[in-house]
Amino acid sequence: MRIPPLARTLAVVGLLILVGAEVNLAASVPPVGLPAVRVLQMALEAPRLIDYEGTKVITALKAGRAETVTVSEWHKRPDMMRLEYLSPEDVAGRLIVDNGTNAWHYEPRLNMAFEGPTFEGDLLSRDLTLLHRNYRLTSLGVDEVIGRQAYVVVLDPVMPGVRRQFWVDRATGTILRSEERDPDRGVILSTYFSRVSFSLNLPDAYFRFRMPGGARVYRMPSAEAGSMSPAALEQQVRFPVLIPPVLPEGYTFHGGALSRFGSLTSVYLRYSDGENLISLFEAPAGSIGWPSAGQPVPGWTQPARLVDLGYFRVLIWEQRGLRLTAVGTVPTETLLVVARQLAAGHEQALVTDVSRRVESDPTVVRTLRGEGLTFPEVARALVLSQRLGADPRTTARFVRGTLTISELAGQLRMRPEVLKQAVQDALREAPTVPPALAGR
Amino acid sequence: MTINHHRAEQMLSAYLDGELLPREAVEVQAHLLECSACRKAYERLRETKDLLGQLPVAEPPAEFWTAIRTPRALPMRERLRWRPPVWRWTTWGIAAALLVLAVALVPVVKGTVDRLHAAEIGVDLYVRDHALQMSHEPLVDRAYLGLITGDSDLKLVGEPARYGEGTP
Repeated sequence: MRIPPLARTLAVVGLLILVGAEVNLAASVPPVGLPAVRVLQMALEAPRLIDYEGTKVITALKAGRAETVTVSEWHKRPDMMRLEYLSPEDVAGRLIVDNGTNAWHYEPRLNMAFEGPTFEGDLLSRDLTLLHRNYRLTSLGVDEVIGRQAYVVVLDPVMPGVRRQFWVDRATGTILRSEERDPDRGVILSTYFSRVSFSLNLPDAYFRFRMPGGARVYRMPSAEAGSMSPAALEQQVRFPVLIPPVLPEGYTFHGGALSRFGSLTSVYLRYSDGENLISLFEAPAGSIGWPSAGQPVPGWTQPARLVDLGYFRVLIWEQRGLRLTAVGTVPTETLLVVARQLAAGHEQALVTDVSRRVESDPTVVRTLRGEGLTFPEVARALVLSQRLGADPRTTARFVRGTLTISELAGQLRMRPEVLKQAVQDALREAPTVPPALAGR
Repeated sequence: MTINHHRAEQMLSAYLDGELLPREAVEVQAHLLECSACRKAYERLRETKDLLGQLPVAEPPAEFWTAIRTPRALPMRERLRWRPPVWRWTTWGIAAALLVLAVALVPVVKGTVDRLHAAEIGVDLYVRDHALQMSHEPLVDRAYLGLITGDSDLKLVGEPARYGEGTP
């Protein structure tokens, strides 16, 4: 049978369209069984590639009970966000508009507007070195969330801490559902989209705050932008800045700043493990009153209180004329470890001890402490510096996770695998915990 | 015409007390909008005035009034011969000392007020700073952190974060 030329042409065009659609489908939906690292990368890149609008349900632990909040969430690539809280009744109408530079919070029941810093921050330049060091990343396959295929990945902390599970949309990389689980209290935060629409190309106007008539405006202070070392901060305040001698394994100094509110000036030190943050605030004890909230900490000799806000825990204590406050989404024991190590003091004895054990000048140990390093980190940085013939500041950056092994290898003109082996050999010999701290 | 910084600084106290001519007040106001140093100086003046206004009025000793009234009670002949007694100078000395003490107490009173205020804001201020920094960590839920910072904003300006919720 002879096929007419027109039918032949249509058949070929049809076949090409089908093949093209298949190719296009394959490009937009990655194959099943994607490695967990690739899924994580997709989730991190999604905000700068995708616009979306959806309704999110958040359930969080608050003051010993679960609170459920519903919020309309708009995201415009790369870093704009609009949040309209719908329920419960006491937050209904609250609005947050973030244009990527600053964020406005509007409270309709009080007709008050608050201007503060953006929530998106350095979204595009996040470094995952620490996260990969401190978390085991596992893929749990594919699941369905609101009718969409999603990769399921788990971030398990190497040391006791919060375990995070994410459901990442196969087509867009957007996190459709997440769950955070505390080792002591179970799920402390769960979020999921009950409805979501993608690729809307949302108008910029949605992300510009329009001041309602007669609103009272507050420009809220926040910790100063940029980062300073504890030594630099001490030059700016009239009290000594205490640096934790030891931190829970995996946490490292991530930056310091001054936090000002009225006449209260506090030093703010941040410690990160790549995914979680412990904040430490220091201020003269006389400049701030003792809070009524929280519970006394059993077994403490100095005044101390633990405030369990649910998702966040706050530990407040006093020592040597300073008020110290540690905040984090971490087990209580983790906060207590930080506080106990600080309360133990003995800075000078530890400087002498570490410098003797690693055969280094005490001045160098003091300098690295002033950069925010803990004593085990100082010991590792100095041992690596001696073994590799590198500057202690460079090895300190490597120990803190701000320099990758490839970058360090490039600087030292070594092959990364050779350097990796040399680092492992050197760190095996480094004192991990100064003996003066062991057993405290 | 605008006034210069030096002149505006001199006029701040009179501006605060409402003693300037309308034209001068407008000029000072315009300068305050532009000059952060003068705004700070104005705020300090205003706080000092507020605190002084809150101090109790010191009652002078009874002898003080007697000293004022006594000469008038005397006959003209005696009044002409009247000389201020030593204790009258003492009273004036005490009054001056009280004034100096009140001025000296201003920073102490202000410090106490600041501490009382800081007691209320301590946890909320730090939780807010922590939540804002936490939002820069990868994979965190910014909608939930927005809720926490929103609650803290309200508490920091002295409002309950939610209906029926007192400040902690």
